[in-house]
Amino acid sequence: MASTSALVEATGLVKEFRRPRKAPGLAGALKHLVTRRFDVHRAVAGIDLRIDEGESVAYVGPNGAGKSTTVKLLTGILVPTAGEVRVAGVVPHRDRVANARNVGVVFGQRTQLWWDLPVHETFELLRDMYRIPAADYRRSMDRLCEVLEIGPLLPVLARKLSLGQRMRADLAAALLHEPRIVYLDEPTIGLDVSVKDRVRAFLRQLVDDGTTVLLTTHDVGDIEEVCRRIVVVDEGRIRHDGPVGVLRDTLASNSTVRFQLAAPAPLHLIRERLPDAEVTTGASERDLVVRFDRTLRPAGAVAATVMGLVEVRDLRIDDEGVADLIRRLHDRDSPAALNGAG
Amino acid sequence: MGPYRAMARIAWRNALAYRVPFLMSLSMMVFNLVAMFALWQALLGDGNSLAGFTWPQMKAYLLVSFFTNCLVSTFTDFAMASRIRSGAVAVDLVKPVDYQKSRLAEALGFALLEAAAAATVCAVVLVAFGGVPLPSPGRLALFVASLAAVVPLKFLIAYMCGLLCFWTQNYLGISLARGAVSGILSGATVPLAFFPAWLRQVAEVLPFQAVTNTPAMLFLGRNPGLPGALAVAVQLLWIVALWWLARRLWHVAVRRLTVHGG
Amino acid sequence: MHTLRVYRRSLGAHLRATLEYQADFWILVVAAVLTQGAGLLLIATIFARVPRIHGWGVWEVVLIFGMMVLAQGTSELLAEGTWGLAGLINRGELDRMLLRPYPCLLQVCSSRVGMNAFGNLTVGGGLLVSALAHLDVAWTPGRVALAAVLLPSALLIKVSLTVVANSTSFWLRGAINTFAGGLDQLGELTKYPLSIYSVGLQAVLATALPFAFIGFFPVSVFLQHGRLAWVGLLTPLVAAWCVFLAVTVFSRGLRRYESAGN
Repeated sequence: MASTSALVEATGLVKEFRRPRKAPGLAGALKHLVTRRFDVHRAVAGIDLRIDEGESVAYVGPNGAGKSTTVKLLTGILVPTAGEVRVAGVVPHRDRVANARNVGVVFGQRTQLWWDLPVHETFELLRDMYRIPAADYRRSMDRLCEVLEIGPLLPVLARKLSLGQRMRADLAAALLHEPRIVYLDEPTIGLDVSVKDRVRAFLRQLVDDGTTVLLTTHDVGDIEEVCRRIVVVDEGRIRHDGPVGVLRDTLASNSTVRFQLAAPAPLHLIRERLPDAEVTTGASERDLVVRFDRTLRPAGAVAATVMGLVEVRDLRIDDEGVADLIRRLHDRDSPAALNGAG
Repeated sequence: MGPYRAMARIAWRNALAYRVPFLMSLSMMVFNLVAMFALWQALLGDGNSLAGFTWPQMKAYLLVSFFTNCLVSTFTDFAMASRIRSGAVAVDLVKPVDYQKSRLAEALGFALLEAAAAATVCAVVLVAFGGVPLPSPGRLALFVASLAAVVPLKFLIAYMCGLLCFWTQNYLGISLARGAVSGILSGATVPLAFFPAWLRQVAEVLPFQAVTNTPAMLFLGRNPGLPGALAVAVQLLWIVALWWLARRLWHVAVRRLTVHGG
Repeated sequence: MHTLRVYRRSLGAHLRATLEYQADFWILVVAAVLTQGAGLLLIATIFARVPRIHGWGVWEVVLIFGMMVLAQGTSELLAEGTWGLAGLINRGELDRMLLRPYPCLLQVCSSRVGMNAFGNLTVGGGLLVSALAHLDVAWTPGRVALAAVLLPSALLIKVSLTVVANSTSFWLRGAINTFAGGLDQLGELTKYPLSIYSVGLQAVLATALPFAFIGFFPVSVFLQHGRLAWVGLLTPLVAAWCVFLAVTVFSRGLRRYESAGN
């Protein structure tokens, strides 16, 4: 063990996938048999990550950034191409059984309940597989039934549950053996607002009780309500790592004013007058977007400057939050997306 | 192009989607053919004859039986059952076409593919195992007509079994049971000539024998002249009767769906 | 012990869940009885006309047949889940099994119960008992010991071959493994005395795909029937080899899954 308090320790983690390069059709398939050429895709391209006991980490990034692959590496589902992982001192893919006792996993898109069985049978099977002592099991079940309100779901077949019910049962199934760390992969996807709130409240409680949580999500609400630390990943690398609070404060100093103009925007003129702002057009040439640091100049000054140059029909002022950060991250054309956020 | 021809064409296009169950059942029938060939060759190969069958005649019987087994073997009830169970059948109900005719159109479309696959296998077997006695042109024409009648006949049996999914979720069981019952009573498992008299009499008054026994007997020339033509007429009668019966069943099933909400 | 207990509990849970649907249960029992009944009808009609096939009498063939049915039922009871392996891989659902502290292969095997199992176990067991009763076997202690070794070995071979066939799903992408289905159907050939097949096919069924060790060879040695009866003594070795093969192929596949993602 590298450190006494690091629960997850990943260094230089790399995962490459080889995809066969095949021409379409039968001829392509035959040619592939002879030549066997592959494209190498680096889903995770060197990640160093350390999570201490009791932390709650949001792991975010656009689709295809390598989030799920990282989670699969940390849980031992995938074997890394290079690099090292230790979770609670165990190498997950090498000692799967020992690792399984330390971790709980929830996939929002897939259930881990036995599909054809009543929910209580799933819990009993998990109890047997994890060898949970009877007293611990009863205590754990009582607590989960109370906070997740799954009591009425116990006799129901898993495939007959609604999405929200299924997610609550899934959470309980992942936590039954009281794991030290819980991985949650998009746990609120597709849920309606009220169920989302319940799930988040439950996760917050989990964090407050000292369970370590790693959460991948596209939902800003999940991050802001559950996590204290945010790790942003893109193209297989970590782009940002820091407290959620600091990120919000930094971003909060950024403001955006959106103008609707009577005529196409004279971009070069506006940029000349507002050299430290980011000036772009929106959906049409008549939509102007000015992004600036509120500590350098007030929004009113920005509006006045633009109005002095061109006739303005309408304007709207937005303060940025974590939502905008994620949105900008997902827009890969803006490499400066995270300026000032580190 | 009319709606039913369009559906037959769609069945062709869907063939790719149903290739897995199709190949499964084809491989099952091919292996069964291998076993039956070996078994009957062991019994008849040295010039014996049993129940009036010599080895070349039995070869012909087995090939005709294989061919009729392949027709309408997968598509109809398999697709119907999954649509009924998933509730997607509701979409079929609001279409401005007749449900039964639509399914028949699909079955006919797919049967072309099944016939092509079965004919290929038969050709390979003929090359490997040598010839079978060919019927005269006149009898051959009657045989082809009765083979054509097998398609709607098998369709109607499969269709009615598919409709049972309005009552039970367990299509696998129904499909297995249907396979076993129609295998026995059609003569596909053993020629009816081998049956004890009572079982033979039971089989002869049921529609299943028209599926395999009738075309096989025509091919072998067991019922020359008028009886042969009559056998084909009986096939057609069964088609009409089952068509009407299937309609009744469909109405009962739909009432159940619309009244009880599936 | 713990491993076995969890396995039993998983099967038990699935059993309870499926028995909730009584109608489905009976449909499948009836379907299994009818399906095997068709096979028996073939045997019965043949032996009504000939006393022996390649030296095999009716109850000897029924014994082979019964072993095959019993083995099929055993595989449906203990390893039905492997038929879902292709789907588990295809949908990425194997992930969750890798996250639990229990052998993945056993989780896959016990993730379903084949409801045909009851019909087939009953029919197979019944055939075994009645064949042995008619065959007038001298139950010396040696015979009893032989049977006690042969029976579990044969059943184990069937279960292992099912696992091997389905483990190819790690290499063949697709939601259903047609190859495994075909292989299983090929195994059905060994319901009849092996000697009726061509030498090449016999060799395949005795070595590369040793389905003949489920029914034919164990029965041969037990009844001391035929020149090759001694080969049946290899049944426990073949069983060990098949188990080894199943575990090896499955874990090779799993390693591929772990490094390839899905």
